[in-house]
Amino acid sequence: MRESDCVVVMGSNMAENHPVAFRWPMAAKVEHGAKLIHVDPRFTRTSAVADIYAPVRAGSDIAFLGGLVNYVINSERWNRDPFFRSWVVNYTNAATLISDQYQDAEDRDGVFSGLMEYKAGVPEWPYNGFTQQYENASWQYAGTRVGDQGRTAATAQSGETPGTKSGMGTPGAPQPSGPPYDALVRSLLKPPAARDETLQNPRCVFQVVKRHFSRYTPEMVERASGCPRDTFLKVAETILANSGADRTTSFAYAVAWTQHTNGVQIIGCCALLQLLLGNFGRPGAGIMALRGHASIQGSTDVPTLYHSIHGYMAHPTALKKHDTLEDYLAAETVPTGYWGNMPKFVVSYLKSMYGDTATVENGFGYDWHPKIFGDHSHLPMFVAMNEGKVRGMFCIGQNPATSLNAKLERAAMRKLEWLVVKDNWVHETANFWKTAPEIQSGEVSPADIKTEVFFFPAAQVAETEGTFTNTQRMMQTHYKAAEAPGDCRTDVWFTYQLGKRLKKLYADSQAPRDQGFRNLTFDFEHEDPKERQIGEPSAVKLLKEMNGYQTADPSRHLAGFGELKDDGSTTCASWIYSGVFPAPDRNLAASKQPDPPGQPGAHLNWGFAWPANRRLLYNRASADPSGKPWSERKKWVWWDGSKWTGYDVPDFAGTKAPSAQPKPGGIGLDALSGTDAFIMKGDGVGWLYVPTGLVDGPLPTQYEPAESPIRNPLYKQQSSPVFKYWKQDGNPLASVADPNFPYVITTYRLTEHYLSGAMSRWLPALTELMPELFIEISPELAQEKGIANLDRVRISTPRGQIRAKALVTRRIRPLQIDGRTLHQVGMPWHWGYEGVVKGEIVNELTALVGDPNVTIHEGKAFVCNVEKG
Amino acid sequence: MAEPMGFYTDTTVCIGCKACEVACKEWNQLPATAGGANTMSGDSYDNTRRLDGIHWRHVKFIEQFPESRQDGRWLLMSDVCKHCVQAACLEVCPTGAIIRTEFDTVVIQSNTCNGCRDCIAACPFGVIDMNPVSGTAQKCTLCYDRLQNGLEPACSKACPTDSIQFGTISELRARAQKRVDQLHQTGENRAYLYGADEKMLGGLNSFYLLVDRPEVYGLPPEPKMPSRNLVPGSVYTVLGAIMVGLAGLFSFRDRTSSLGTGPGPEVRP
Amino acid sequence: MIDAPSSTWFTTNPHWQWYIVLYFFIGGLAGGCYFLAALIDHLGRVEDRPLARLGYYVAFPAVLLSGLLLTLDLSRPLRFWHMLIERNTFEPMFKAWSPMSIGSWALLAFGLFSFISFMGALAEEDRLRWPAFRRLQWPAFRTTRPPAVTGLIVAVLGGLAGLFVAGYTGVLLAVTNRPIWSDTPLLGMLFIVSAASTSTALLMLLAQRYGWRALPGVAALQRMDGLVLALELLVLAAVVVSLGSALRGWLNAWGALLLFGVIIPGLIVPLVLSWRQRRFTEASIATMAALVLIGGFLLRVVVIFSSETI
Ligand SMILES: Nc1nc2c(c(=O)[nH]1)N[C@H]1C(S)=C(S)[C@@H](COP(=O)(O)OP(=O)(O)OC[C@H]3O[C@@H](n4cnc5c(=O)[nH]c(N)nc54)[C@H](O)[C@@H]3O)O[C@H]1N2
Ligand SMILES: Nc1nc2c(c(=O)[nH]1)N[C@H]1C(S)=C(S)[C@@H](COP(=O)(O)OP(=O)(O)OC[C@H]3O[C@@H](n4cnc5c(=O)[nH]c(N)nc54)[C@H](O)[C@@H]3O)O[C@H]1N2
Ligand code: SF4
Ligand code: SF4
Ligand code: SF4
Ligand code: SF4
Ligand code: SF4
Ligand SMILES: [Mo]
Repeated sequence: MRESDCVVVMGSNMAENHPVAFRWPMAAKVEHGAKLIHVDPRFTRTSAVADIYAPVRAGSDIAFLGGLVNYVINSERWNRDPFFRSWVVNYTNAATLISDQYQDAEDRDGVFSGLMEYKAGVPEWPYNGFTQQYENASWQYAGTRVGDQGRTAATAQSGETPGTKSGMGTPGAPQPSGPPYDALVRSLLKPPAARDETLQNPRCVFQVVKRHFSRYTPEMVERASGCPRDTFLKVAETILANSGADRTTSFAYAVAWTQHTNGVQIIGCCALLQLLLGNFGRPGAGIMALRGHASIQGSTDVPTLYHSIHGYMAHPTALKKHDTLEDYLAAETVPTGYWGNMPKFVVSYLKSMYGDTATVENGFGYDWHPKIFGDHSHLPMFVAMNEGKVRGMFCIGQNPATSLNAKLERAAMRKLEWLVVKDNWVHETANFWKTAPEIQSGEVSPADIKTEVFFFPAAQVAETEGTFTNTQRMMQTHYKAAEAPGDCRTDVWFTYQLGKRLKKLYADSQAPRDQGFRNLTFDFEHEDPKERQIGEPSAVKLLKEMNGYQTADPSRHLAGFGELKDDGSTTCASWIYSGVFPAPDRNLAASKQPDPPGQPGAHLNWGFAWPANRRLLYNRASADPSGKPWSERKKWVWWDGSKWTGYDVPDFAGTKAPSAQPKPGGIGLDALSGTDAFIMKGDGVGWLYVPTGLVDGPLPTQYEPAESPIRNPLYKQQSSPVFKYWKQDGNPLASVADPNFPYVITTYRLTEHYLSGAMSRWLPALTELMPELFIEISPELAQEKGIANLDRVRISTPRGQIRAKALVTRRIRPLQIDGRTLHQVGMPWHWGYEGVVKGEIVNELTALVGDPNVTIHEGKAFVCNVEKG
Repeated sequence: MAEPMGFYTDTTVCIGCKACEVACKEWNQLPATAGGANTMSGDSYDNTRRLDGIHWRHVKFIEQFPESRQDGRWLLMSDVCKHCVQAACLEVCPTGAIIRTEFDTVVIQSNTCNGCRDCIAACPFGVIDMNPVSGTAQKCTLCYDRLQNGLEPACSKACPTDSIQFGTISELRARAQKRVDQLHQTGENRAYLYGADEKMLGGLNSFYLLVDRPEVYGLPPEPKMPSRNLVPGSVYTVLGAIMVGLAGLFSFRDRTSSLGTGPGPEVRP
Repeated sequence: MIDAPSSTWFTTNPHWQWYIVLYFFIGGLAGGCYFLAALIDHLGRVEDRPLARLGYYVAFPAVLLSGLLLTLDLSRPLRFWHMLIERNTFEPMFKAWSPMSIGSWALLAFGLFSFISFMGALAEEDRLRWPAFRRLQWPAFRTTRPPAVTGLIVAVLGGLAGLFVAGYTGVLLAVTNRPIWSDTPLLGMLFIVSAASTSTALLMLLAQRYGWRALPGVAALQRMDGLVLALELLVLAAVVVSLGSALRGWLNAWGALLLFGVIIPGLIVPLVLSWRQRRFTEASIATMAALVLIGGFLLRVVVIFSSETI
């Protein structure tokens, strides 16, 4: 971001929530006068240092971004400057033709072709939250089929009902089997989709996109988002002016884009815009997904996610044809592009899981691997819990009693038989049975709660050795600064000890389902006798397991995932991290040498960024199709006549010439040409249009949040037709434009606190800075409601009601939406009923609705009422 | 004496994160208002309100929004002791508790201060106040302990955006002037330096880049030395004394006579 | 803040409150009474000597009390000596440019003089009953009273020290950056004059309690009080003028108290009284003196708190 000429912070309050990362946009500002734009419903501390602040209505981001797309495509500059044309034609799927079955939201007033009632899922797990889903065959590239272009979503997709196989191949036909699995992968090859390099064909992606966004005019943006037309145009002009061959614009977002029932589409819309502007794979370009917790990136890489296994490979599921390893590989491997190597990743992963017991004969133990059978993410799990389907829960580093749909989640926890809380504090969740509001009000008596709660004191991060992986995919070692007091133990200690004990428990079970545990290799004994004695596992050994080694000789670490084999000769838990620990004496995560100041560089010797220590993904795109840098100012990686070179590790086949053509019948990278910069994509290009992988449409479309005070100004379709909703008592939704809940409310963070507050509300130095829960309202609304600054106010939604102090400020402004005044209010959500300072729980107000792709709740835009008292 | 050290604070890049405030607290082990159970002030995001004996750094939040919200501004500024070259506090301190260090900074020795609070009244910027725990007057030490060990002050170290910059005064002044010029070029003509030159109390070793009048930031437009009143004040007082003396002479004039001798008549109180 | 009348409005109040108010008042009386006593010693008639002794009798306890009040006002009272001796080097601590520093020394010196004179007065009246005193000090102490030369010197020096103690407090307030206090250079003058008026009033009051109306000195005191009160009125006017825009600090309850608690009852009324009747009635003396004392006290209340509350 330090290289950016324009930084757009939208969907995040970067200065307040990522202050340290924010030093780079500020550096760009001070060092070369980069423009900073903040698009946010509230004027925040980010807006305070921004060159342009654009107010918007919470939940209107796609209208705004769509407006930008429309502005760009129709702008004189974009159509004149050869850079954009060349970039889009060569590096995106703009030229690709789409199936003529496809009908756009444009033609069907807000819904795409293929909408149908939800069929996927198994009766044992009725918690996926869908009522409708899309049959997405019609979305495919012309002449291709679902799955050809890439993996499909886990819980809703045509052809994902149990038994039938996604992708190609007919049941019964003998599956080419391996290892090596090349034959199998080759059998998946399809003829590439047709293209029209002139971008004239009405069915080519570019034309479809152009039509799709044609109604997103500046006037429409103002109507839908409330952002004044001229402010919007100023933003649009600034972004366009700072994109091109020698200028780049970057975006930064966080949960104000994700916490929506169409969050993934918002991000997709930004990606679409940045692809049109050539802002990918280049210095100062891109989209920064500002991650939340320290190492939350790491926890998705080596996942705590239910639906994937290490390195973003689909988790084996009962909802697809994943019966055998071959089935799984056939269903999940994209034959072209780098994912064509997936069999090597999977087999090496299984070797790390089951060690010697994983053999060719038993499909490397694939059968032992657990399968998912639905959406097992946070919300559905708590719904299931609330219906008595879950007996126990380990709550390690979470505080669900306050952090999501609190009332309902506490009700769910009351149905547990046992609850293990491992935390630094005896927080709201640990005491949900004792001090929760419903207990204090006498509504529920602790005597009636049968849940047995076990509390394990946790070691703090400074008392732990290990690594962080930050937003930039960079892994850095951190060392123990102090010994944990008393019984406090690290989380990895807990997991390790639990695993070992479970293995013992199953040691001589013959039940097939227990073989996984029996054969699991789980030996990470610490080198240091002192640590070993308390049972702490070795972080070094864990890192080595992730990096991978030669199965025959574990002392020979792998230098990178290029060395992975699909025959079991290599062991590697997480292919993307392969190379971080290339030799027993070389831990790159621990390397800390910055580049000398002043000269351009990627600081390759500071930490390790997966994959292969690349700092910019798809950086082949920083050079033009012929391999020359687009400009001196923005050079990064280029072709020197014999190989790819530059400041960064090239994200491309090292010696593949720009002019290289795909090998006929080639798989993996061989199937891609010398200009196919997006090597993880089956077709080697960035996707403006997304034929597969998303369950709610191939193109971003402005939908209203699940609760909105207005009708969708763009389409008849009010909200996403497929967003997730769970019918539970305590989870009613307000109807559209419900007069009882006339205001838009959004929830967010403060620099002074951290999330549920468990990490801040116990610390006086922080609590004195922001002692009390408050609601930010405009003087205009305050006057309407007779509310004075610091008055107590009552905030209510169909789900609940809480009290907070009023902070009346002009940083909040009424918006003109569709010609009428609309008020927005905002609340930080850091308070709870434990700690040095207490306050009511904002998540009593939120609704249990989710994004159809990733099931994150809609905490950022819903409706409420505000009254004095 | 080593080269004068101090702060240049560029308020235009401050994001009001208060990391400086907290870092100072943590490093100097200062207590929190009401043990942390503070109450909300209702004045923007500022709940610690001012510099005092337990807040040696304080971040100010100034909301400037017209009703139309046109070009509204939220000015953020991290305030601290100015380490004046001519330090009022040091000047008046009767116990010599306040000293000037080898870094040309101003430090209160807690073991010497007896809590007369003269320095509080003297500081033109309202920086000092009592620390209820130590019972002495306290303020920013410019991390004297860290400086002595070659470390950067805790607050500037913590500042993510380099709004607070630590260094030698000469170097900081040059850097600050460059920034002002840059801002003027990009159209921010309101930018200027507060306390960077000798004109203000011989120079503030913690000076600021501001974009509005000092008053707006709660800074005195023309801070002065207390001693400005010393001579006139004393002269007038002596004058007063003389007048009283004259009044005495005049009143007793007609009783002037040989001094009485002996105990005088036995009238007893 | 943005429309602050003066740069002094940006400072913090030192929490100088009742201890200090009392100290300013009592310290003023101590200095003033000693000064008057010394004056009488030099100019007075022999009949007036009891009056002079009275002054000394007041001064010493008052200065003791002053020291006590000052010490109590410190947040670390046990460190009072840091004012005189540098804590780390144990060298004498003296800052000629810091009123509080000189003030501490002055108080010490004045304490010494007033002690000597106090004992002298006792000795003169032959009140030093204890054998110890009888044997040693008392001849010595006798010499500390006029007409003995030492006596004269003590009285002169003590008198000056007294005046200093009575006046430096105003300078101390001026040599800060607080609103009002440092917005005028005249507080020292005001305090010294007010110290004189209150002291004369006090001596008159006491003299009258002892029924010394016959003493010529009392009449002189009356005349003096009149003069000093007039003077004080003028100085106060000058202060108001010199405050300029900082006068804002008095356009409030404190201003009202100044007018209706100090100026009218404490200055004007007594003045009128003293001019109206050359020959005082018992009552009028009492009321006049009382009014002056109350006014003098309230004056200090106003000066201190009107700034403290900004
Ligand atoms: N100090 C601090 N830092 C944190 C955290 C913390 O709790 N405290 N939490 C961490 C975590 S886990 C995360 S996920 C990140 C979250 O980082 P952010 O996403 O930046 O956090 P939020 O404050 O939830 O939301 C940011 C902004 O979104 C705005 N907003 C609300 N609705 C909308 C909308 O519909 N559109 C747009 N464009 N903006 C909207 C809000 O006004 C708010 O200013 O922060 C991380 N960093
Ligand atoms: N309304 C609304 N709700 C939201 C959001 C919103 O923006 N609006 N944001 C959502 C987001 S993005 C997030 S990430 C969630 C966060 O929600 P939670 O994760 O439930 O809340 P945290 O406070 O982050 O909980 C982290 C816990 O881990 C503990 N902890 C810290 N370090 C350690 C450690 O080393 N080991 C162990 N065992 N425990 C540790 C802390 O004490 C704390 O109790 O909240 C979500 N909820
Ligand atoms: S908390 Fe950690 S991750 Fe968040 S901004 Fe600060 S340093 Fe960065
Ligand atoms: S700012 Fe105040 S406290 Fe700091 S040195 Fe100057 S006078 Fe002393
Ligand atoms: S309070 Fe302490 S530091 Fe301040 S002047 Fe008095 S003695 Fe000096
Ligand atoms: S320099 Fe040290 S003492 Fe002064 S504010 Fe910064 S951290 Fe606090
Ligand atoms: S740390 Fe820096 S940016 Fe944050 S408030 Fe302090 S000065 Fe401002
Ligand atoms: Mo998060």
